[in-house]
Amino acid sequence: MSVFDRFSRGDTDDAGEVTKRRGLVERYVDSVTSRTGGGSFVTKSLRKVFPSHFSFLWGELALYSLIVLFLTGTYLTLFFEGSQEVVTYTGSHEPLQGQEVSAAFDSVMRISFEVKGGLLIRQMHHWSALLFVGAIALHMARVFFTGAFRRPRDLNWIVGLTLLLLALAAGFTGYSLPDDLLSGTGLRITNGIILAIPFIGERLAYLIFGGEWPGTDIIGRLYPVHILLIPAAIVAVLSIHLALVWRQKHTQFRGPGRTEQNVVGERVWPAFAMKSIGLLFLTAGVLTAMGAIFEINPVWLYGPYDTAAATSFAQPDWYIGFLEGSVRLFPPWEFRAGGFVINTLVFSGILIPGIVFGGLFLAPTIERRLTGDTADHHLLDRPRDAPNRTAAGAASIAFVAVLFLGGAQDVVASTLDFSVGHVTTVLQFAMILAPPIVFVITKRTCVELRDRTGPERTERRVPVERTADGGYHIPDDQLEDWMLAGGAAPGHFDEMADHSTVRGKHAHRDESDPVHADEEALDEMRDDAGADR
Amino acid sequence: MTQFDDAEDDATPVTAQRPVSDEARSEWSSVAHEDMNLRAYRAAIVAFVVAVGGGLLAAIAYWTSETETLLGVGLALALGGIGFGLVSWSKYLDLDEHVVQQREPLRTTPQQDADFEEQVEVGRQTVGRRKLLVGLLGGSFVSLAIGFVGPVGSLGPRPRGERDSTGWAPGRRLVTLDGSPVDLSSGIFDQLATVFPDGMIGRDDSQVVLLRLRPELLSERTIDDGALDGWVAYSKICTHAGCSVGLFGVDDREPDVVRQLVCPCHQSVFDPTDGARPVGGPATRSLPQLSLGVDDEGFLVSNHDFDRPVGPITWDEG
Ligand code: HEM
Ligand code: FES
Repeated sequence: MSVFDRFSRGDTDDAGEVTKRRGLVERYVDSVTSRTGGGSFVTKSLRKVFPSHFSFLWGELALYSLIVLFLTGTYLTLFFEGSQEVVTYTGSHEPLQGQEVSAAFDSVMRISFEVKGGLLIRQMHHWSALLFVGAIALHMARVFFTGAFRRPRDLNWIVGLTLLLLALAAGFTGYSLPDDLLSGTGLRITNGIILAIPFIGERLAYLIFGGEWPGTDIIGRLYPVHILLIPAAIVAVLSIHLALVWRQKHTQFRGPGRTEQNVVGERVWPAFAMKSIGLLFLTAGVLTAMGAIFEINPVWLYGPYDTAAATSFAQPDWYIGFLEGSVRLFPPWEFRAGGFVINTLVFSGILIPGIVFGGLFLAPTIERRLTGDTADHHLLDRPRDAPNRTAAGAASIAFVAVLFLGGAQDVVASTLDFSVGHVTTVLQFAMILAPPIVFVITKRTCVELRDRTGPERTERRVPVERTADGGYHIPDDQLEDWMLAGGAAPGHFDEMADHSTVRGKHAHRDESDPVHADEEALDEMRDDAGADR
Repeated sequence: MTQFDDAEDDATPVTAQRPVSDEARSEWSSVAHEDMNLRAYRAAIVAFVVAVGGGLLAAIAYWTSETETLLGVGLALALGGIGFGLVSWSKYLDLDEHVVQQREPLRTTPQQDADFEEQVEVGRQTVGRRKLLVGLLGGSFVSLAIGFVGPVGSLGPRPRGERDSTGWAPGRRLVTLDGSPVDLSSGIFDQLATVFPDGMIGRDDSQVVLLRLRPELLSERTIDDGALDGWVAYSKICTHAGCSVGLFGVDDREPDVVRQLVCPCHQSVFDPTDGARPVGGPATRSLPQLSLGVDDEGFLVSNHDFDRPVGPITWDEG
């Protein structure tokens, strides 16, 4: 008896009598759904279809690292102290013994050296944060390069970008909490950038930091922001994000039987759920291994924050790298008029990131303006199918990548044994030249790939039966599945099949109207096989 | 093949749903029986066994091991084993399926649009008739917001020119981190020290880099602005974004002439022989110079406070 059998047992008849004994799960679910009218919703949800493609996993990966973040972060709150009160370090790490440190730094040292398992959890938390933002970035790239951000999902693109901003804020506030030399320096730079804001800068900096830098308030303020406000906002916005995915249904790549009106894939239960929960545990496992084996953010090496000290090779967490680079690479320009000054930090610390994020927010609108395409899209483009979009995306990535390198220009210089000044100059030129060059190359490549016609191979196991005359035959009940998986139409099939694993070509596509062509092929095939149900 | 093309329309009664047909059921069981993927099955067994072992390893390691590495590895094996086991299990069941589901239209029909507009209009007319009340309600909200300005303002004091002054004052001694004053005749050339005003060690806005350079290297304005016998003192706070300018370098190529102060944060370079003017990197302003004097005991003192704000500036400090 199969799994499925057991779960579909126990229907109620018209009189509401349970006709068969039901399992525990069904009874609990039913006790809720029969009080909320949610029965059909639950069933529909279990049957909901998700297309599968490896690139659809990045969003899930982000979700699962977030879960690890929540669990490990909650553990850390049980020990962390969000206070800048000065204490003398008396813990077991000898080099720092007797130093005056803040209570926040002291508590992070305690987590790392005295709490058994604390360092593991702390390092897991940090690795999860790095992976979280990384997965978000990959997820966003997938959405961009496949055109999934077009109507009606332009709405969710904006929701997603809000999540990215929240994730960056979570990362930055968390990274600043231990009050070590590296993160304290980052906060000080932030203070400098805020001061530079015209009109309100000084007042704003005083409000945020509780007065002149460094003050004694900032760590205590970042703490609730990091563990309460931002996580709550992430949960709220993420719920909207996922609800929209659910409601609008997932996009899918073009293929046989895939149209703008349907979605072809696996049902949530059990196929999708089983793999996805597996991915959750795999992610957690990998993050645990990283926390166990790879040291991250060794604050005891940086030492406590000291306003009169700073270190070289001070790179922030990777996702802040592009901001750091912007601040390092922007030339020493400032504008003065009538005793007022627009400081260089206004450009490098506010304007450039503003342009980057503004561009991201506007991407769907810009594409709509340029192409005049206002239709709904549920079928994805391959990157090569939209050379201009792909080229624009690649050029933007090139720009951000140069900024990222700029954020470590001192490391680059000392690795290559050049002077920092030279590396900076080269990168400043690259900042301007790389995007157009990358644009042109990417566009050419796309056009070339798109125009190259050739067979696309797919592989799929399909049971075949031998016919009396020695040929091969796919059993009727397998035929449609075989077609949807990208198998050839039966005509081709006879010639090709000689063992049970069949390599097939996509049915030749009519580029002008691929959807339609595939639909027809499918219909024909259904008729042929008499598989009309 | 299963095809659920019931558009997710809430109006569809539950009973009218395409039943999970016998056909679908037999599909599952047949898959499970016929198409046993033994490798995946074995992989799942191994993975779950590893998971069980991992959890135990973690528990044992917690009690016996000095470090946390084994604990972490054990937990990682437990978690990863469960994950890998589930994925293998689903492989074994060969759940790859291609189910077709119809999308429901998302766009509203003209009729729905019209209904919506009508409904909004009804409300607007009902509520909007009393213009006075609408206006007063709006006013109340604005005033409510104003009422909260106070508490928000409590977050930080109003700036009262703190940025215009530091701890430096006429005749105040320069002291190093351990509190000792600096003897005019003591310095070794080309060595950097961080100093504070006497009695204010650690005060952020008063941190100063003190250097003794060979006097012939110093430019005229550097001398005019308060260099003394080769001693020069500059605010240590980078005028770019505020890091501590902690690196002092002698240029290898021109060891006789080029002296540099470098900020490690964004690599701004200042020339200490010429009023710490910026010569590289993103900084646009020189480090404010501290005018030096000497007291009766022969120790370095400041003549007066800096003549402009230190560090990164606000928009009206230009
Ligand atoms: C409910 C969610 C979260 C809670 C309760 C939480 C809690 C904490 C606590 C208490 C700390 C300070 C202890 C320490 O630094 O070792 C911390 C640090 C940190 N958090 Fe979180 N956090 C959460 C979510 C996040 C998210 C979403 C991110 C990033 C995207 C993040 C990134 C960081 C980072 C980078 C640190 C510095 C860790 C380190 O010291 O190495 N956190 N978090
Ligand atoms: S803070 Fe010194 S270079 Fe930016």
